[in-house]
This record gives sequence, C-alpha cells and structure tokens, in this order.
Amino acid sequence: MRRALRFSVLTVCLAFCLTGCSAAIGASASQSGPQRYEATWMDVFDTVTTVVGYAGSEEEFEARAQEFHDEMVEYHQLYDIYNDYEGVSNIKTINDNAGVAPVEVDERIIDLLVFARDMCEATDGKTNAAMGSVTKLWHDARAAAESDANLEGTPPSEDEIAEALTHISFDTIVIDEAASTVFITDPAQSIDVGSIAKGYAVEQAASQFDDLLISAGGNVRAAGTKPDGSLWAVGVQNPDGGSEYAAVLNVTDESVVTSGDYQRYFVSDGVRCHHIIDPDTGYPASLYRSVTIVCPDSGTADALSTALFNLPVERGTEVAQAFDAQVLWIFADGSQQMTDGFAALLRD
Amino acid sequence: MTRLTFRRGDAVVIAAILAASIALTAAFVLSARRGAAASVEIRQNGEVLAVLPLDEDAEFTVGGAYTNVIEVRGGEVFFAESDCPGQDCVHSGAVSAAGRSLVCLPNRVEVRITADSPDENAVDGVAG
Repeated sequence: MRRALRFSVLTVCLAFCLTGCSAAIGASASQSGPQRYEATWMDVFDTVTTVVGYAGSEEEFEARAQEFHDEMVEYHQLYDIYNDYEGVSNIKTINDNAGVAPVEVDERIIDLLVFARDMCEATDGKTNAAMGSVTKLWHDARAAAESDANLEGTPPSEDEIAEALTHISFDTIVIDEAASTVFITDPAQSIDVGSIAKGYAVEQAASQFDDLLISAGGNVRAAGTKPDGSLWAVGVQNPDGGSEYAAVLNVTDESVVTSGDYQRYFVSDGVRCHHIIDPDTGYPASLYRSVTIVCPDSGTADALSTALFNLPVERGTEVAQAFDAQVLWIFADGSQQMTDGFAALLRD
Repeated sequence: MTRLTFRRGDAVVIAAILAASIALTAAFVLSARRGAAASVEIRQNGEVLAVLPLDEDAEFTVGGAYTNVIEVRGGEVFFAESDCPGQDCVHSGAVSAAGRSLVCLPNRVEVRITADSPDENAVDGVAG
C-alpha cells in the first residue's frame, strides 16, 4: 500500500516532466515536414527581391524560385524607363519616340498601361504614370545628391516644375490595344511606371503560386498559407527605422505595400525631398510618413499606396473602399490611424 | 498489512523530481520567449559569404564591383563604409532585429539578421 502511494506521487511528478518533454517533441516534429527556403535577387526593379517558401528539398524550391525570377526579369526589361535591352521594345522605347511615332510593344506593356490609366482615373489622378516629365526632374535632383555624404541636394526650380506639370495628361498617351502600339503625341511628355510596375509585375509572376511569400523592395505578396496552414506574418516598417515594426499582420492571399517618405530622398535646407510626387502640386506630398495598403492584388496595392499618400484620410478611405482595400496611415508625430479591416489583420 | 507511512526519503525524491520538472519547463518557456541568439548573414549574389554572431563585435569586408565594410557592434549591424556610387547602404543605418536586412544593390550585397532558433516575433516579410 505504501508502495502504491509512492507510485501515485511519482506519477504526478512525472506528469510535470512530460509536459515539458512533449513541448520539446512538438517543436522538433514541426521541422521534419517541408523545410523553409529563401532566395534573393538584386537584378530586378532596382531593388531586393526575396522569395520565401517551403519545399521537400532545396532543388524543388529553387526550381520554383527560378521560374518566378525568370518571369520578373522579363517584366523588368519591358517596364524599364532608363535602360535599353537588345531586341526589346520597352517603356523607354515608347518615351524615346514621344511625338515621333507609335511603338509596337508586348501585350504586357499594353496591359500595364491600361491598368495604370484606370488607376489614375479611380484615384482622382493621384497616382499618375503619365507624369514622367515631373518625376524625371526629381529623379535627376536625387541622383545629383547621391554623391553627397549627407544627401544634400537642390530641388528643381519652380519654373521647371510648373512647365513639366503641363505635360502630365493621359489624354496624349494613345494606347491602341488592337494594334498593340503606344504613342505619346506630346514630345515633352513621358511615362514613369515607378509607382505601379513593380507591384503589377509581382502580381503577374506570383499568381501561378499558392504557397510562397514574395517581397520585392518592400512590396509583399503572400500567396496561400504555410504548409501547416498557418498565415504569413508581414511586418510594416517603422518610418523612423527602429527595430520595432509599426505593425505586424497575419495574412493569406493578400498584398501589403507601403509608400513612405523615407524610401528614396535627398535633403534640401533640412527638408527631406522624397520620391512620391503629388501630381497636383509637382512637389513631394507631406501628409504622412507612410501609407500601407492591404488588398489581394499587388498592382492595385502598389497604385493605391501612392495615391493615398497624396490624398487626405477621408478621400483616401473612400478610394480604398472602392477596391475593398485596408489602410494604415502613419503621421509625422508617429501616431497611426487604420481602417477596421486593417486592425482585424493585426497579429496579437 | 503494513501501515501507511511517509519517510524522509520519499520527500527527497519528490522534491528532486519536482525541481527537475520545473527547471525543464522553465528552460523551454524561456528559450522560446527570448528568441534565443541571432546571427548576421552576409550574402553576395545570393551566396553566403559569412555568418557572424550578432552579439560579438566584428568587421567584415566584402569585395566585388565595390568594397563594403560591414560592422557588427553592440548587437547591431551596419554598413560602416562603401565606395559604391549611391551610398544607400551606408545611409540605411543599423539594424538589430531578426528578419531585418540591409543591402548594397550596386555590390549585390545583402546583410540579414536571422534568429538562431524559431522566434515567435519573427516575420516572413517586411513592407516598407
């Protein structure tokens, strides 16, 4: 009898032990399924592109990652406005032929430009791929400032900006879908798809996958879930660059895209001149530090993040609602405002 | 029939097992919560050049089209020097949290902080 009691006490003690042990077994068991892999490239869209996925072997993962990357390279060349590629008619070719002649281009360029025109219309013109004349001025000013240790630079003159702003209408960009040609009738005009092309390309290249997380320069596209059914965790960068994220979301089949004033900029008289230019003023918008959009389509998210960066919260909310998109605004003082749908995606 | 008695030996055994089980459980909980240690992974063209512990000060130089000097100091990592044209890497400042990364695009170099063991605070991607 005494022995029996001793056994029962020992059993209780052992049970304590076993709870500890079972936790250890659970953790190691989760590593015996598909392994996590990551691939990174720096040769597309002037940024870092990372693919995270799970696969039975490294070869299996690399084959899929390569497929994605190959497609991104094609989009990169087609949508490039700075470089020529042998045998490729791209957006630079269209710009070079402004006021000269229509250029026959790949269907993927036509599709992007039609999408860009639609998004421009849907956002009160606040994301405008036809304003290359204006963004070029700021791009050149930023490039000139790059050699300075403190990124000190000189903004374009008011006259230059005012003149450039008279050449930003989509009306002078003739997209002939039947002939697959694009013609910019105004020689002073050019196309800049910087606010839309990366997200659009990611969407096209990602749509064939259902179990990857793609991140192209901060445009995150989460396809499907992880193999164990859990959601992808996506952090939103803190505009101040701290190690804490401004928010962390749990998502599946969503794109998360942020436009911020900290991404590409130069400094003039202590003022940060960043790359998101309000098409109505010709100057960098200053309503927010950053705006983050969550919606399934990565191209839409990319376009909306730029548009909402240039729009007041009220109008931005309306525009986002039309696309069923969720929004996080971060203001200059670090405070945040978010839609209810965005709050619902926050990780606990 | 023997009488039920509780001997000193029993108490010692019980106490020992209890202490061991509590210590074990605590060890698991703590290691999971702390996210354990982190490493700095330095890659060029996707190839891993070095993996350094984040909690040990070190300096690492990467050659290639340009030269980057990467420094680990005080639990942070940053591009200390670079002769690349844009200097974006140097201007990016320092990072310290698992999942964060820094890059020098012209030199095709990526510096990424990875958690050495599964970290419940880790993320799969960062928008921004």
